[in-house]
Amino acid sequence: MNTIPQESEITALLGHSFPGGTYKIEHWENFLLTGCTGAELLPNGIAHPVALFHVPILGSNTSIAEMFALGQAESDLSIIPESYDWEMFEPLKEEVTYTISGKIIAAERRKNEQGQTYDWLQFCFEMTSPEQVLSARSTITWQYTRNTL
Amino acid sequence: MVDNKPLVITCKVGDKIPEWIMERVCPERMRTMAAILRDPNPLHWDRDAVAALPLGLGHRTINQGPLGLSYMVNMLHLWTGPESIKRMVMRFPQVVLDEERVVAKGVVVAIREENGARLADCEIWLEQAERGRLLEGSATVELVKQA
Repeated sequence: MNTIPQESEITALLGHSFPGGTYKIEHWENFLLTGCTGAELLPNGIAHPVALFHVPILGSNTSIAEMFALGQAESDLSIIPESYDWEMFEPLKEEVTYTISGKIIAAERRKNEQGQTYDWLQFCFEMTSPEQVLSARSTITWQYTRNTL
Repeated sequence: MVDNKPLVITCKVGDKIPEWIMERVCPERMRTMAAILRDPNPLHWDRDAVAALPLGLGHRTINQGPLGLSYMVNMLHLWTGPESIKRMVMRFPQVVLDEERVVAKGVVVAIREENGARLADCEIWLEQAERGRLLEGSATVELVKQA
């Protein structure tokens, strides 16, 4: 049995902000990323929207590993992605440097239908273009399961 | 002479979105994706790690959630163009496994105007023949296709 973190440790994560930073989707990265999706490269330097998962995370100077650790994940295998919400206010472009911020907007202890405890975290990231336009918002909701594996 | 006028997409509530098919979910692509994402989770590149789980998934790697989502992006792009998607919300009721054939599907559930743009709200999902819906959610697209 793993020790479950105190509920207060989880709820204290609410409002946690990542350092923030910038990220440029270079052509090579978009090329490989788009290939992974099975699509052809998009026209006019448009980056494939699948970038909306990792670019906000890395650009706000965090990582998937750190997000796992913040919620005291029992292992890499214990995370269940609940939902991804991608809002696109303009197409993302290759070779454009976006300013990115990110924070935890929800942190709660919950029980599932089987009565098993899990912790529920929502991360929200925003990408702003060099023209100071909000280009995209990504909200990631993960469940940190406890003692289910 | 090339006509660069945007194309207006005509559709109505209940219309099906043309399907997009991934004939084979490749483990090699998951590995590339894991490296780009800096995702340390072995479920995406180590079949032994998946086989060791008490989930009965067998010796197969699990596709990254964003990659499954991207198949629905591809479906929407082919329908309404590469600049059309305004929002996608996806949930993950089942995993997508390597070597599976999956089909992105969708249906129009509402058409509305917002800030002068004509938008379609859609129910979208990723389907596998034996296991049904693996991913499901909603999308909003603008009904103008840039030429």
